[in-house]
Amino acid sequence: MHKPEIAITRERLLAAREMVLNMGPQHPSTHGVLRVILKLDGETVIDLDCDIGYLHRGVEKICENRTYVHIEPYFDRLDYVAAVSNDLCYVETVEKIAGIEVPEKAKYIRVILTELQRIASHLLWLGTHAMDIGAVTIFLYAFREREEILKIFENYFGARLTANAFRIGGLQYDIYDGFEEQVRAFCRILPERLKEYETILNENRIWLQRTVGIGILTAEEAKDLGVTGPVLRASGVKWDIRKAFPYEVYDQVEFEIPVGENGDTYDRYLVRMEEMRQSRLIILQCLDKLKKLHPGPVLGKVPKVIRPPVGEVYHSIESPKGELGIYLVSNGTAFPERLRIRPPSLINLQALKKMAIGHLVADVVALIGSIDIVLGEVDR
Amino acid sequence: MELFWTIWNHPIVSEYVVRRLPTIVIVLFVILTVAAYLVYAERKVSAFIQARLGPMRVGPYGLLQPLADALKLLSKEDIIPARAERSIFVIAPMISVVASLVVLAVIPFGPGRATITDVNIGVLFILAVSSVGVLGIILGGWASNSKYPLLGALRSSAQMVSYEVAIALALVGPLMFAKTLSMVGLIEAQMTDGVWYVLYQPVAFLIFLVGGLAETNRAPFDLPEAESEIVAGYHTEYSGFRWALYFVAEYTNIVISAAIAATVFLGGWHFPGLTRLAEPGTGLYALLAVLIFAVKVFAIVYCFIWFRWTFPRYRYDQLMSLGWKWLIPAALANILVTGAVLVLAQHLGLVETVRTEAGERLVSLWPWGKLFLIAASLLIGVPIVWILLAVINRRSADFNLRVQRQIRLPERGEEEIFAEV
Amino acid sequence: MAEPRRTWKQVLSRFLLLDLIKGLLVTFKYQAPKHCYTEQYPLVRPKVAERFRGAPRLNLDPETGESLCIACNLCAIACPEDLITVVEAVREYVDHEGKTKKKRVLVDYTYDTSRCMFCGHCQDVCPTYAIELTQEFELAIYRRKDFVWSWEMLEKGIEQPIYTR
Repeated sequence: MHKPEIAITRERLLAAREMVLNMGPQHPSTHGVLRVILKLDGETVIDLDCDIGYLHRGVEKICENRTYVHIEPYFDRLDYVAAVSNDLCYVETVEKIAGIEVPEKAKYIRVILTELQRIASHLLWLGTHAMDIGAVTIFLYAFREREEILKIFENYFGARLTANAFRIGGLQYDIYDGFEEQVRAFCRILPERLKEYETILNENRIWLQRTVGIGILTAEEAKDLGVTGPVLRASGVKWDIRKAFPYEVYDQVEFEIPVGENGDTYDRYLVRMEEMRQSRLIILQCLDKLKKLHPGPVLGKVPKVIRPPVGEVYHSIESPKGELGIYLVSNGTAFPERLRIRPPSLINLQALKKMAIGHLVADVVALIGSIDIVLGEVDR
Repeated sequence: MELFWTIWNHPIVSEYVVRRLPTIVIVLFVILTVAAYLVYAERKVSAFIQARLGPMRVGPYGLLQPLADALKLLSKEDIIPARAERSIFVIAPMISVVASLVVLAVIPFGPGRATITDVNIGVLFILAVSSVGVLGIILGGWASNSKYPLLGALRSSAQMVSYEVAIALALVGPLMFAKTLSMVGLIEAQMTDGVWYVLYQPVAFLIFLVGGLAETNRAPFDLPEAESEIVAGYHTEYSGFRWALYFVAEYTNIVISAAIAATVFLGGWHFPGLTRLAEPGTGLYALLAVLIFAVKVFAIVYCFIWFRWTFPRYRYDQLMSLGWKWLIPAALANILVTGAVLVLAQHLGLVETVRTEAGERLVSLWPWGKLFLIAASLLIGVPIVWILLAVINRRSADFNLRVQRQIRLPERGEEEIFAEV
Repeated sequence: MAEPRRTWKQVLSRFLLLDLIKGLLVTFKYQAPKHCYTEQYPLVRPKVAERFRGAPRLNLDPETGESLCIACNLCAIACPEDLITVVEAVREYVDHEGKTKKKRVLVDYTYDTSRCMFCGHCQDVCPTYAIELTQEFELAIYRRKDFVWSWEMLEKGIEQPIYTR
């Protein structure tokens, strides 16, 4: 019955030099539901197209129909592996437009938690990226350390993944007893664990062959594409919103911005590894300062119903993936007129085509991993 | 009926079929069980490496897990994709399994009747039959009429062909010492010489191990089934029992390549002092010998598992360049160096060719001969092979690979930052 | 990309496969049982944090055994997903002084756990600590309609089979 059709397919298959391969939306290493349409010559990628939207939930539209307090939990579900950073961005935007003051102590706690989230997000990235390249064990090691952070989150937020205790004007909870010790204990083990990952990967000849010189993105290209975050820094551009437009208390702590040189997959790996170390330093400094502020309020004066004045505001933070921005238009009511999210993953994903063409299928997988996308954020 | 008994009593049939039947049945049973438990071992070892526990729920410490897996696979629906080439799709996994099981015929598991048969071209037989196995993979990948299996099959055909060359060439070195192709002969040669060939042939052993990993599709050479790239490679469209056949073939192949490495390079079932423990020819002797062989095989299999869960995966072109630009030249150079060393040793009168019933044997007469051969392989063989490889690959990317510039930050210690806080 | 020349140390370590061996040693080390990190979940139930937000519960007054809920509807308003329905009625009653007073009482309360995102806004606004997200985390249910928890379920909780050996 199907015979003629098969014959046609075969002839086509034999005659054509190119093969179109649909990688995803169900594929082990597209990090969710990304569909990459690859045009292959043998295994070499000659063209590539990303098909997104499989996880579209219309968050921006939902936000137009919710009050400012109600919107908060939806932000956990954008970049669901870095929920705290998303929440921070949202509450800061609303604080900015409504002119709400946040107590000093709350700021420090917020920074500690967001930096922990950055480490957690980077650990997850490390695990999945290494797994894409074939080193499965790193994945479980990274998840073990991430688990320690999630335990802290569970204790503080009451949830592990969709952590949600940031409130407009401060925080829902004060720190729990033993918070400082738990965070410090984690900071103690982190450097040696990072060192272990690096002994497995950094010098490994297979890892080097798979990452060095793969998907080079020059500084110019990166800027043209609007890429942000570690991907941009690996290309040699020293741009970090924590330094450029310091929010919270980032101007009061000391840290360095690791910058790469070659803009290849290996540099992106190195930059993120170093960022984890820097985040750890930030956390330790904040813990020291938090001690002096300890018995103190964590929630500022917030009106019962938040009605920001008519106007618009753009606020962005350095999320683990890059610049996460929110553009908010207020019409003076309890509901936002328009809320637009600038997701770093979506914009970084646009660099994939530039990086991948000319490489092999296996490299595409490594490159998707090295951009560090989360589809919840890409599709919104 | 008459005819049956005539055939049954025919000397050739009785020699090669009837007398071997019990061994064949035992070996098949044991190897298939071992293959099933190898999956368990793999899962356990990988779990321990990854700070996990592995299977724990079925039986104590999950010991019955292979049984549960087998039951599950048997009871699963057998799916043949609509556009697949049915007959080839059905036959392909069988080819793989048969090819890997046939090789068992010449593996010397122990002395005397513990080995199914001793073919005088044992090594050639293994190389020939095991290369049929790749046919099953290619056909399976093609017959699925799907893209990921096709890519997997293409990758595997290129990989198997390249690495088979390296493996065959690596085996030539030990054969030059043993002067026989028979697997049993190889063990006897190592027994009479009293030295395992891994000492004479470290380069060949390394090449064989790497090639063996590649032949059995193990990480870091698991490209034909690279999960993160091409989903499951050639067996993406297979399910249930047909998939189980591929699985059995794969794990049997691991046992086989470990067994060959143990036989050729680690003295097979022989261990120094074994004859003192038990009289050759007795049951105890055979049992001890089989145990020793099993330990050696497991040690190599453990290394295979250990490598798999540590290293990242090679890329397709890197795999090819490793095979053709590193392993094959190294194996060729190794043969040349070994030949030269042997000629030199014969000139110096350190080794001698002895005629025995089984054929010629190369015997190093006294400790100096052995010492000379070991020293020569380490001090002459290894550097020469390395220099040659360095010359061949001096312009290639993987030779010039170096740690990239590390991320440099201003030199400020933790203490300094916290002094200000 | 001007890269520094390789030192002899680097050449030698590559020749001796040290880069691979170092990695192997790390993975070998972790095989010791003391490094095991697994939680044997159905056998050993994990202790979740005090602030954990899990299954909802309508608390009862420990003295009188009556519901703490005063049917103020704040939780339903606070819920971003609009999944709480509070049905209230106004009842007249005679207090101890003999005066007739009006009182709001709860008639029905449903909570749709399939849509809940466990943000905890409802328990934050509750003036009487009636609605609470508890430490119970096993919420799987066989039928879709059972995801909507009735008043009774909210007070008693759902019974989950305990899988142990």
